[in-house]
Amino acid sequence: MDLAAGIEALNVYGGAASLDVRQLCLHRGLDMPRFDNLLMREKTVALPFEDPVTFAVNAAKPLVDALSAKDRSRIEMVVTCTESGIDFGKSLSTYIHHYLGLAGNCRLFEIKQACYSGTAGLQMAVNFILSGTSPGAKALVICTDLSRFALADAAAVQEWAYSEPSSGAGAVAMLVSDTPHVLRIDQGAYGNHGFEVMDTCRPGPDTEAGDADLSLMAYLDCCERAFKDYARRVDGADFRDTFAYLCFHTPFGGMVKGAHRHLMRKLFKAKPDDIEADFVRRLSPSLSLGQRVGNTAGGSVFLGLAGLLESIDLAAPCRVGLFSYGSGCCSEFYSGVVTPDGQSRLRAQAISAQLDRRHLLSLDQYEELLKGTQVIRFGQKDASIAPDTIPAAWEAYQGQGRLALEGMVGYHRQYRFV
Amino acid sequence: MDRDTILAVIVGQIREVVPELAERPIVETESMAELGLDSIERSEIIMNTLEAIGLDLPMVQLHGPKNLGELADLLHAKSRT
Repeated sequence: MDLAAGIEALNVYGGAASLDVRQLCLHRGLDMPRFDNLLMREKTVALPFEDPVTFAVNAAKPLVDALSAKDRSRIEMVVTCTESGIDFGKSLSTYIHHYLGLAGNCRLFEIKQACYSGTAGLQMAVNFILSGTSPGAKALVICTDLSRFALADAAAVQEWAYSEPSSGAGAVAMLVSDTPHVLRIDQGAYGNHGFEVMDTCRPGPDTEAGDADLSLMAYLDCCERAFKDYARRVDGADFRDTFAYLCFHTPFGGMVKGAHRHLMRKLFKAKPDDIEADFVRRLSPSLSLGQRVGNTAGGSVFLGLAGLLESIDLAAPCRVGLFSYGSGCCSEFYSGVVTPDGQSRLRAQAISAQLDRRHLLSLDQYEELLKGTQVIRFGQKDASIAPDTIPAAWEAYQGQGRLALEGMVGYHRQYRFV
Repeated sequence: MDRDTILAVIVGQIREVVPELAERPIVETESMAELGLDSIERSEIIMNTLEAIGLDLPMVQLHGPKNLGELADLLHAKSRT
Protein backbone atom coordinates (compact mmCIF):
# COMPACT_ATOMS: atom_id res chain seq x y z
CA MET A 1 0.00 0.00 0.00
CA ASP A 2 1.19 3.51 -0.77
CA LEU A 3 2.45 5.70 2.03
CA ALA A 4 0.00 8.48 2.85
CA ALA A 5 1.27 12.03 3.16
CA GLY A 6 -0.24 15.45 3.51
CA ILE A 7 -1.54 17.93 6.06
CA GLU A 8 -2.11 16.42 9.50
CA ALA A 9 -3.20 19.69 11.14
CA LEU A 10 -3.68 23.25 9.93
CA ASN A 11 -4.17 26.57 11.67
CA VAL A 12 -4.56 30.16 10.49
CA TYR A 13 -3.52 33.25 12.39
CA GLY A 14 -5.27 36.31 11.00
CA GLY A 15 -3.71 39.10 13.06
CA ALA A 16 -4.84 41.60 15.67
CA ALA A 17 -6.34 44.39 13.57
CA SER A 18 -8.49 44.73 10.46
CA LEU A 19 -9.67 47.40 8.04
CA ASP A 20 -12.86 47.76 6.01
CA VAL A 21 -11.72 47.59 2.37
CA ARG A 22 -14.68 49.47 0.87
CA GLN A 23 -13.97 52.39 3.20
CA LEU A 24 -10.32 52.31 2.17
CA CYS A 25 -11.22 52.44 -1.53
CA LEU A 26 -13.55 55.40 -0.95
CA HIS A 27 -10.86 57.10 1.10
CA ARG A 28 -8.31 56.67 -1.71
CA GLY A 29 -10.81 58.02 -4.22
CA LEU A 30 -10.73 54.82 -6.26
CA ASP A 31 -13.57 54.73 -8.73
CA MET A 32 -14.90 51.18 -8.44
CA PRO A 33 -18.47 51.20 -9.72
CA ARG A 34 -18.76 47.42 -9.48
CA PHE A 35 -16.80 46.99 -6.25
CA ASP A 36 -19.01 44.08 -5.14
CA ASN A 37 -17.78 41.99 -8.10
CA LEU A 38 -14.27 42.08 -6.66
CA LEU A 39 -15.46 40.08 -3.63
CA MET A 40 -13.40 41.96 -1.05
CA ARG A 41 -14.58 42.90 2.45
CA GLU A 42 -11.85 43.33 5.06
CA LYS A 43 -8.10 43.00 5.32
CA THR A 44 -5.75 42.33 8.20
CA VAL A 45 -3.26 45.08 8.99
CA ALA A 46 -0.08 44.24 10.92
CA LEU A 47 0.56 46.30 14.06
CA PRO A 48 4.05 47.48 15.10
CA PHE A 49 4.49 44.63 17.61
CA GLU A 50 3.72 42.06 14.90
CA ASP A 51 6.12 40.76 12.25
CA PRO A 52 6.41 37.60 10.12
CA VAL A 53 7.81 35.70 13.13
CA THR A 54 4.97 36.58 15.50
CA PHE A 55 2.37 35.73 12.85
CA ALA A 56 4.06 32.40 12.18
CA VAL A 57 4.47 31.42 15.82
CA ASN A 58 0.91 32.45 16.66
CA ALA A 59 -0.34 30.21 13.84
CA ALA A 60 1.85 27.22 14.68
CA LYS A 61 1.85 27.21 18.47
CA PRO A 62 -1.64 25.72 18.95
CA LEU A 63 -0.68 22.84 16.61
CA VAL A 64 2.62 22.17 18.36
CA ASP A 65 1.14 22.50 21.85
CA ALA A 66 -1.50 19.89 20.97
CA LEU A 67 1.18 17.26 20.24
CA SER A 68 2.59 14.81 22.77
CA ALA A 69 6.26 15.37 23.68
CA LYS A 70 7.12 12.29 21.59
CA ASP A 71 5.31 13.57 18.50
CA ARG A 72 6.76 17.07 18.95
CA SER A 73 10.25 15.58 18.91
CA ARG A 74 9.50 14.13 15.46
CA ILE A 75 9.22 17.57 13.82
CA GLU A 76 12.40 17.31 11.77
CA MET A 77 11.93 20.18 9.32
CA VAL A 78 10.60 23.73 9.64
CA VAL A 79 10.05 25.39 6.27
CA THR A 80 9.04 29.04 6.29
CA CYS A 81 7.44 30.24 3.07
CA THR A 82 7.46 34.00 2.66
CA GLU A 83 8.09 37.10 0.60
CA SER A 84 8.34 39.15 3.80
CA GLY A 85 11.82 38.08 4.89
CA ILE A 86 13.64 40.01 7.62
CA ASP A 87 17.25 39.05 6.84
CA PHE A 88 19.15 37.96 3.73
CA GLY A 89 20.95 35.14 5.53
CA LYS A 90 19.25 34.00 8.71
CA SER A 91 15.96 32.31 8.02
CA LEU A 92 12.68 33.03 9.79
CA SER A 93 12.60 29.32 10.66
CA THR A 94 15.39 29.78 13.22
CA TYR A 95 13.31 32.21 15.28
CA ILE A 96 10.14 30.16 14.84
CA HIS A 97 11.88 26.92 15.83
CA HIS A 98 13.18 28.63 18.99
CA TYR A 99 9.87 30.11 20.14
CA LEU A 100 8.04 26.84 19.47
CA GLY A 101 10.58 24.97 21.59
CA LEU A 102 11.35 22.32 18.96
CA ALA A 103 14.15 19.74 19.07
CA GLY A 104 17.59 20.52 17.64
CA ASN A 105 17.68 17.69 15.09
CA CYS A 106 15.70 19.72 12.60
CA ARG A 107 16.20 21.23 9.12
CA LEU A 108 15.53 24.97 9.23
CA PHE A 109 15.19 27.04 6.11
CA GLU A 110 13.12 29.60 4.25
CA ILE A 111 11.87 29.58 0.67
CA LYS A 112 10.62 32.25 -1.69
CA GLN A 113 8.67 32.39 -4.92
CA ALA A 114 6.08 35.11 -4.29
CA CYS A 115 2.65 33.61 -3.54
CA TYR A 116 3.70 30.17 -4.84
CA SER A 117 6.04 29.72 -1.85
CA GLY A 118 3.50 27.91 0.33
CA THR A 119 2.81 25.22 -2.22
CA ALA A 120 6.55 24.84 -2.88
CA GLY A 121 7.05 24.36 0.86
CA LEU A 122 4.20 21.90 1.19
CA GLN A 123 5.45 19.82 -1.73
CA MET A 124 8.99 19.76 -0.30
CA ALA A 125 7.61 18.53 3.00
CA VAL A 126 5.29 15.97 1.42
CA ASN A 127 8.12 14.58 -0.66
CA PHE A 128 10.32 14.39 2.46
CA ILE A 129 7.64 12.28 4.14
CA LEU A 130 7.10 10.13 1.03
CA SER A 131 10.82 9.54 0.62
CA GLY A 132 10.70 7.33 3.72
CA THR A 133 14.18 8.42 4.78
CA SER A 134 12.96 9.14 8.32
CA PRO A 135 9.88 7.00 8.98
CA GLY A 136 7.32 8.71 11.23
CA ALA A 137 8.91 12.16 10.88
CA LYS A 138 6.84 15.33 10.66
CA ALA A 139 7.51 18.67 9.00
CA LEU A 140 6.16 22.07 9.91
CA VAL A 141 5.41 24.28 6.92
CA ILE A 142 4.52 27.87 7.75
CA CYS A 143 3.42 30.51 5.29
CA THR A 144 3.74 33.96 6.82
CA ASP A 145 3.38 37.23 4.99
CA LEU A 146 2.46 40.78 5.68
CA SER A 147 2.40 43.84 3.50
CA ARG A 148 3.82 46.78 5.36
CA PHE A 149 5.28 49.38 3.13
CA ALA A 150 6.83 52.73 3.88
CA LEU A 151 4.26 55.01 2.36
CA ALA A 152 6.22 58.11 3.10
CA ASP A 153 4.76 60.22 0.34
CA ALA A 154 2.07 60.42 -2.32
CA ALA A 155 4.31 58.75 -4.91
CA ALA A 156 4.71 55.66 -2.72
CA VAL A 157 0.95 55.51 -2.15
CA GLN A 158 0.42 55.74 -5.91
CA GLU A 159 2.91 52.94 -6.65
CA TRP A 160 1.12 50.64 -4.22
CA ALA A 161 -2.38 51.69 -5.32
CA TYR A 162 -2.93 48.66 -7.56
CA SER A 163 -2.82 46.26 -4.63
CA GLU A 164 -3.31 48.23 -1.43
CA PRO A 165 -6.99 47.22 -1.09
CA SER A 166 -6.19 43.52 -1.49
CA SER A 167 -2.86 43.25 0.38
CA GLY A 168 -3.43 41.60 3.72
CA ALA A 169 -1.46 39.84 6.40
CA GLY A 170 -1.65 36.38 7.91
CA ALA A 171 0.03 33.09 8.56
CA VAL A 172 -0.95 29.49 7.92
CA ALA A 173 0.81 26.69 9.78
CA MET A 174 0.63 23.12 8.51
CA LEU A 175 1.90 20.02 10.19
CA VAL A 176 2.84 17.60 7.39
CA SER A 177 3.12 13.89 8.12
CA ASP A 178 2.13 10.35 7.19
CA THR A 179 -1.18 10.79 9.06
CA PRO A 180 -2.78 13.44 6.84
CA HIS A 181 -6.09 14.03 8.60
CA VAL A 182 -6.84 17.42 6.98
CA LEU A 183 -5.65 16.91 3.39
CA ARG A 184 -4.26 13.71 1.94
CA ILE A 185 -2.21 14.72 -1.07
CA ASP A 186 -2.86 12.73 -4.26
CA GLN A 187 0.60 11.39 -5.00
CA GLY A 188 1.93 12.24 -8.43
CA ALA A 189 -1.17 14.30 -9.23
CA TYR A 190 0.15 17.75 -10.02
CA GLY A 191 0.92 20.07 -12.90
CA ASN A 192 3.20 23.09 -13.19
CA HIS A 193 3.58 26.11 -15.39
CA GLY A 194 6.20 28.82 -14.97
CA PHE A 195 7.90 31.47 -17.09
CA GLU A 196 9.74 34.75 -16.56
CA VAL A 197 7.39 37.73 -16.34
CA MET A 198 7.62 41.04 -14.45
CA ASP A 199 4.04 41.23 -13.21
CA THR A 200 4.47 42.07 -9.54
CA CYS A 201 7.55 42.26 -7.37
CA ARG A 202 9.03 43.46 -4.10
CA PRO A 203 12.13 45.31 -5.32
CA GLY A 204 12.98 46.54 -1.80
CA PRO A 205 12.06 45.59 1.74
CA ASP A 206 9.41 48.28 2.01
CA THR A 207 8.14 48.55 -1.53
CA GLU A 208 5.94 46.62 -3.87
CA ALA A 209 5.34 47.33 -7.53
CA GLY A 210 3.30 45.71 -10.23
CA ASP A 211 0.91 45.78 -13.13
CA ALA A 212 -2.58 44.53 -12.35
CA ASP A 213 -3.37 43.57 -15.97
CA LEU A 214 -0.15 41.68 -16.59
CA SER A 215 -0.45 39.87 -13.26
CA LEU A 216 -3.99 38.80 -14.01
CA MET A 217 -3.02 37.63 -17.52
CA ALA A 218 -0.10 35.57 -16.16
CA TYR A 219 -2.39 34.07 -13.50
CA LEU A 220 -4.97 33.11 -16.15
CA ASP A 221 -2.35 31.59 -18.45
CA CYS A 222 -0.85 29.62 -15.57
CA CYS A 223 -4.19 28.38 -14.31
CA GLU A 224 -5.01 26.92 -17.73
CA ARG A 225 -1.58 25.48 -18.42
CA ALA A 226 -0.91 24.09 -14.93
CA PHE A 227 -4.27 22.29 -15.05
CA LYS A 228 -3.46 20.92 -18.51
CA ASP A 229 -0.14 19.64 -17.15
CA TYR A 230 -2.05 18.02 -14.27
CA ALA A 231 -4.42 16.40 -16.78
CA ARG A 232 -1.43 15.14 -18.78
CA ARG A 233 -0.15 13.33 -15.69
CA VAL A 234 -3.48 12.10 -14.29
CA ASP A 235 -5.50 9.71 -16.44
CA GLY A 236 -9.10 10.81 -16.86
CA ALA A 237 -8.73 14.10 -14.96
CA ASP A 238 -11.63 16.42 -15.76
CA PHE A 239 -11.79 19.94 -14.34
CA ARG A 240 -15.58 19.75 -13.88
CA ASP A 241 -15.97 16.22 -12.55
CA THR A 242 -12.78 15.24 -10.73
CA PHE A 243 -12.94 17.82 -7.93
CA ALA A 244 -15.89 18.28 -5.57
CA TYR A 245 -14.38 21.61 -4.49
CA LEU A 246 -11.64 24.00 -5.59
CA CYS A 247 -9.23 26.31 -3.75
CA PHE A 248 -7.25 28.84 -5.75
CA HIS A 249 -4.61 31.31 -4.66
CA THR A 250 -6.71 34.39 -3.91
CA PRO A 251 -5.21 37.87 -4.44
CA PHE A 252 -8.88 38.86 -4.17
CA GLY A 253 -12.07 36.91 -4.86
CA GLY A 254 -12.84 38.55 -8.18
CA MET A 255 -9.56 37.28 -9.64
CA VAL A 256 -10.40 33.70 -8.71
CA LYS A 257 -13.82 34.11 -10.25
CA GLY A 258 -12.20 35.41 -13.44
CA ALA A 259 -9.79 32.47 -13.58
CA HIS A 260 -12.58 29.96 -13.05
CA ARG A 261 -14.60 31.59 -15.85
CA HIS A 262 -11.53 31.56 -18.11
CA LEU A 263 -10.96 27.84 -17.52
CA MET A 264 -14.62 26.86 -17.92
CA ARG A 265 -14.83 28.71 -21.22
CA LYS A 266 -11.52 27.44 -22.53
CA LEU A 267 -12.04 23.81 -21.55
CA PHE A 268 -15.78 23.37 -22.00
CA LYS A 269 -17.15 26.47 -23.77
CA ALA A 270 -19.48 26.64 -20.77
CA LYS A 271 -22.34 29.15 -20.72
CA PRO A 272 -22.40 32.06 -18.20
CA ASP A 273 -25.23 30.61 -16.05
CA ASP A 274 -23.48 27.23 -15.75
CA ILE A 275 -20.18 28.94 -14.93
CA GLU A 276 -21.81 31.03 -12.21
CA ALA A 277 -23.57 28.02 -10.65
CA ASP A 278 -20.35 26.00 -10.70
CA PHE A 279 -18.40 28.88 -9.13
CA VAL A 280 -20.93 29.28 -6.32
CA ARG A 281 -20.99 25.55 -5.62
CA ARG A 282 -17.33 24.57 -5.89
CA LEU A 283 -15.18 27.68 -5.41
CA SER A 284 -16.99 30.35 -3.41
CA PRO A 285 -16.79 28.43 -0.07
CA SER A 286 -12.99 28.77 -0.24
CA LEU A 287 -13.23 32.58 -0.29
CA SER A 288 -14.83 32.95 3.13
CA LEU A 289 -11.65 33.62 5.14
CA GLY A 290 -9.66 35.39 2.42
CA GLN A 291 -12.43 37.99 2.13
CA ARG A 292 -11.72 38.91 5.73
CA VAL A 293 -7.91 38.79 5.81
CA GLY A 294 -6.91 39.96 2.32
CA ASN A 295 -4.17 38.44 0.23
CA THR A 296 -1.84 36.44 2.45
CA ALA A 297 0.51 35.50 -0.40
CA GLY A 298 2.00 32.02 0.11
CA GLY A 299 -0.68 31.08 2.61
CA SER A 300 -3.67 32.20 0.61
CA VAL A 301 -4.45 28.86 -1.08
CA PHE A 302 -4.41 27.18 2.36
CA LEU A 303 -6.51 29.96 3.84
CA GLY A 304 -8.88 28.94 1.06
CA LEU A 305 -8.74 25.31 2.17
CA ALA A 306 -9.44 26.33 5.78
CA GLY A 307 -12.36 28.52 4.69
CA LEU A 308 -13.73 25.68 2.60
CA LEU A 309 -13.57 23.20 5.48
CA GLU A 310 -15.12 25.71 7.87
CA SER A 311 -18.06 26.46 5.62
CA ILE A 312 -19.17 23.37 3.66
CA ASP A 313 -21.34 20.43 4.70
CA LEU A 314 -19.11 17.41 4.28
CA ALA A 315 -20.68 13.99 4.74
CA ALA A 316 -18.08 11.84 3.00
CA PRO A 317 -14.47 12.11 1.80
CA CYS A 318 -14.10 14.16 -1.36
CA ARG A 319 -11.40 15.49 -3.65
CA VAL A 320 -10.29 19.13 -3.69
CA GLY A 321 -8.35 20.74 -6.54
CA LEU A 322 -5.81 23.38 -5.51
CA PHE A 323 -4.18 26.03 -7.66
CA SER A 324 -1.22 28.10 -6.52
CA TYR A 325 0.30 31.01 -8.44
CA GLY A 326 3.29 33.17 -7.53
CA SER A 327 4.25 36.24 -9.55
CA GLY A 328 7.37 36.18 -11.55
CA CYS A 329 6.12 33.42 -12.13
CA CYS A 330 5.52 29.80 -11.12
CA SER A 331 2.30 27.90 -10.56
CA GLU A 332 0.97 24.49 -9.66
CA PHE A 333 -2.35 22.66 -9.87
CA TYR A 334 -2.62 19.68 -7.50
CA SER A 335 -5.19 17.80 -5.50
CA GLY A 336 -5.94 15.95 -2.31
CA VAL A 337 -8.72 14.36 -0.31
CA VAL A 338 -10.55 15.91 2.64
CA THR A 339 -12.73 14.03 5.11
CA PRO A 340 -15.39 14.83 7.73
CA ASP A 341 -12.86 13.91 10.43
CA GLY A 342 -10.36 16.44 9.06
CA GLN A 343 -13.12 19.02 8.88
CA SER A 344 -13.92 18.60 12.61
CA ARG A 345 -10.24 18.93 13.47
CA LEU A 346 -9.95 22.12 11.42
CA ARG A 347 -13.14 23.59 12.86
CA ALA A 348 -11.79 23.04 16.37
CA GLN A 349 -9.26 25.83 15.64
CA ALA A 350 -12.20 28.31 15.55
CA ILE A 351 -10.48 30.46 12.93
CA SER A 352 -13.45 32.70 12.07
CA ALA A 353 -14.12 33.35 15.75
CA GLN A 354 -10.53 34.50 16.13
CA LEU A 355 -10.93 36.89 13.16
CA ASP A 356 -14.05 38.33 14.80
CA ARG A 357 -11.90 39.44 17.73
CA ARG A 358 -9.55 41.63 15.67
CA HIS A 359 -9.54 45.36 16.40
CA LEU A 360 -11.35 47.26 13.64
CA LEU A 361 -9.09 50.15 12.64
CA SER A 362 -10.38 53.60 11.77
CA LEU A 363 -8.91 55.16 8.64
CA ASP A 364 -7.03 57.65 10.81
CA GLN A 365 -5.44 54.81 12.77
CA TYR A 366 -4.58 53.02 9.52
CA GLU A 367 -2.96 56.12 8.02
CA GLU A 368 -0.96 56.60 11.19
CA LEU A 369 0.28 53.00 11.00
CA LEU A 370 1.26 53.48 7.35
CA LYS A 371 3.64 56.25 8.29
CA GLY A 372 5.60 53.47 9.89
CA THR A 373 7.27 55.55 12.56
CA GLN A 374 6.70 52.79 15.13
CA VAL A 375 7.81 49.96 12.88
CA ILE A 376 11.18 48.18 12.78
CA ARG A 377 12.64 48.43 9.30
CA PHE A 378 14.76 45.95 7.38
CA GLY A 379 18.42 46.33 8.34
CA GLN A 380 17.76 48.26 11.54
CA LYS A 381 20.33 47.43 14.26
CA ASP A 382 18.78 48.53 17.55
CA ALA A 383 15.23 49.54 18.38
CA SER A 384 12.52 49.19 20.94
CA ILE A 385 8.81 49.13 20.22
CA ALA A 386 6.05 50.93 22.02
CA PRO A 387 3.35 48.27 21.71
CA ASP A 388 0.42 50.49 22.60
CA THR A 389 0.24 52.70 19.48
CA ILE A 390 -3.37 51.60 19.35
CA PRO A 391 -4.14 50.94 23.02
CA ALA A 392 -7.34 48.91 22.52
CA ALA A 393 -5.63 46.54 20.08
CA TRP A 394 -2.68 45.96 22.41
CA GLU A 395 -5.05 45.42 25.35
CA ALA A 396 -6.95 42.75 23.42
CA TYR A 397 -3.74 41.08 22.21
CA GLN A 398 -2.45 40.24 25.67
CA GLY A 399 -3.44 37.32 27.88
CA GLN A 400 -3.71 34.75 25.09
CA GLY A 401 -0.15 33.48 25.04
CA ARG A 402 0.69 35.21 21.78
CA LEU A 403 4.15 36.29 20.72
CA ALA A 404 4.93 40.01 20.44
CA LEU A 405 7.96 41.78 18.98
CA GLU A 406 9.67 43.97 21.56
CA GLY A 407 12.66 45.34 19.71
CA MET A 408 16.10 44.73 18.21
CA VAL A 409 19.44 44.36 19.94
CA GLY A 410 22.39 44.22 17.55
CA TYR A 411 20.11 43.12 14.66
CA HIS A 412 18.69 40.32 16.86
CA ARG A 413 14.92 40.45 17.13
CA GLN A 414 13.58 40.25 20.65
CA TYR A 415 10.20 38.68 21.37
CA ARG A 416 8.05 37.88 24.36
CA PHE A 417 4.89 35.84 24.87
CA VAL A 418 2.29 38.18 26.33
CA MET B 1 -10.64 39.26 -40.25
CA ASP B 2 -9.64 42.88 -40.87
CA ARG B 3 -8.52 45.25 -38.20
CA ASP B 4 -11.72 47.34 -38.05
CA THR B 5 -13.85 44.23 -37.72
CA ILE B 6 -11.68 43.14 -34.78
CA LEU B 7 -12.15 46.60 -33.24
CA ALA B 8 -15.91 46.23 -33.63
CA VAL B 9 -15.73 42.82 -31.92
CA ILE B 10 -13.81 44.37 -28.99
CA VAL B 11 -16.39 47.16 -28.62
CA GLY B 12 -19.19 44.60 -28.82
CA GLN B 13 -17.59 42.54 -26.06
CA ILE B 14 -17.16 45.64 -23.89
CA ARG B 15 -20.88 46.36 -24.19
CA GLU B 16 -21.75 42.75 -23.40
CA VAL B 17 -19.56 42.56 -20.28
CA VAL B 18 -20.58 46.01 -19.02
CA PRO B 19 -24.17 46.64 -20.16
CA GLU B 20 -24.04 50.16 -18.65
CA LEU B 21 -21.93 51.14 -21.67
CA ALA B 22 -24.50 49.99 -24.24
CA GLU B 23 -25.50 53.50 -25.29
CA ARG B 24 -22.20 55.28 -24.74
CA PRO B 25 -20.14 56.09 -27.84
CA ILE B 26 -16.78 54.30 -27.67
CA VAL B 27 -13.83 55.44 -29.76
CA GLU B 28 -10.58 53.65 -30.49
CA THR B 29 -8.40 56.25 -28.77
CA GLU B 30 -9.98 55.33 -25.45
CA SER B 31 -8.59 52.65 -23.14
CA MET B 32 -10.68 50.16 -21.23
CA ALA B 33 -9.47 51.74 -17.98
CA GLU B 34 -10.76 55.11 -19.20
CA LEU B 35 -14.12 53.47 -19.80
CA GLY B 36 -14.15 52.55 -16.09
CA LEU B 37 -13.51 48.83 -16.52
CA ASP B 38 -11.61 47.04 -13.78
CA SER B 39 -8.80 44.54 -14.43
CA ILE B 40 -11.12 41.53 -14.21
CA GLU B 41 -13.48 43.04 -16.78
CA ARG B 42 -10.58 43.98 -19.05
CA SER B 43 -9.25 40.43 -19.08
CA GLU B 44 -12.72 38.98 -19.66
CA ILE B 45 -13.20 41.23 -22.69
CA ILE B 46 -9.84 40.17 -24.15
CA MET B 47 -10.64 36.49 -23.52
CA ASN B 48 -14.08 36.82 -25.13
CA THR B 49 -12.60 38.68 -28.09
CA LEU B 50 -9.98 35.97 -28.66
CA GLU B 51 -12.74 33.37 -28.64
CA ALA B 52 -14.92 35.41 -31.02
CA ILE B 53 -12.13 35.86 -33.58
CA GLY B 54 -10.89 32.29 -33.22
CA LEU B 55 -7.45 33.01 -31.75
CA ASP B 56 -5.82 30.89 -29.02
CA LEU B 57 -2.89 32.76 -27.47
CA PRO B 58 -1.36 33.18 -24.01
CA MET B 59 -2.99 36.23 -22.45
CA VAL B 60 0.39 37.77 -21.54
CA GLN B 61 1.11 38.22 -25.26
CA LEU B 62 -1.71 40.77 -25.34
CA HIS B 63 -0.33 43.00 -22.62
CA GLY B 64 0.81 46.46 -23.61
CA PRO B 65 -1.70 48.22 -25.90
CA LYS B 66 -2.60 51.66 -24.54
CA ASN B 67 -6.02 51.93 -26.12
CA LEU B 68 -8.64 49.96 -28.07
CA GLY B 69 -7.11 50.84 -31.45
CA GLU B 70 -3.71 49.50 -30.42
CA LEU B 71 -5.34 46.34 -29.05
CA ALA B 72 -7.10 45.82 -32.40
CA ASP B 73 -3.78 46.35 -34.23
CA LEU B 74 -2.05 43.78 -32.03
CA LEU B 75 -4.82 41.20 -32.40
CA HIS B 76 -4.85 41.79 -36.14
CA ALA B 77 -1.08 41.24 -36.32
CA LYS B 78 -1.34 38.08 -34.20
CA SER B 79 -4.14 36.71 -36.36
CA ARG B 80 -1.93 36.95 -39.47
CA THR B 81 1.03 35.01 -38.05
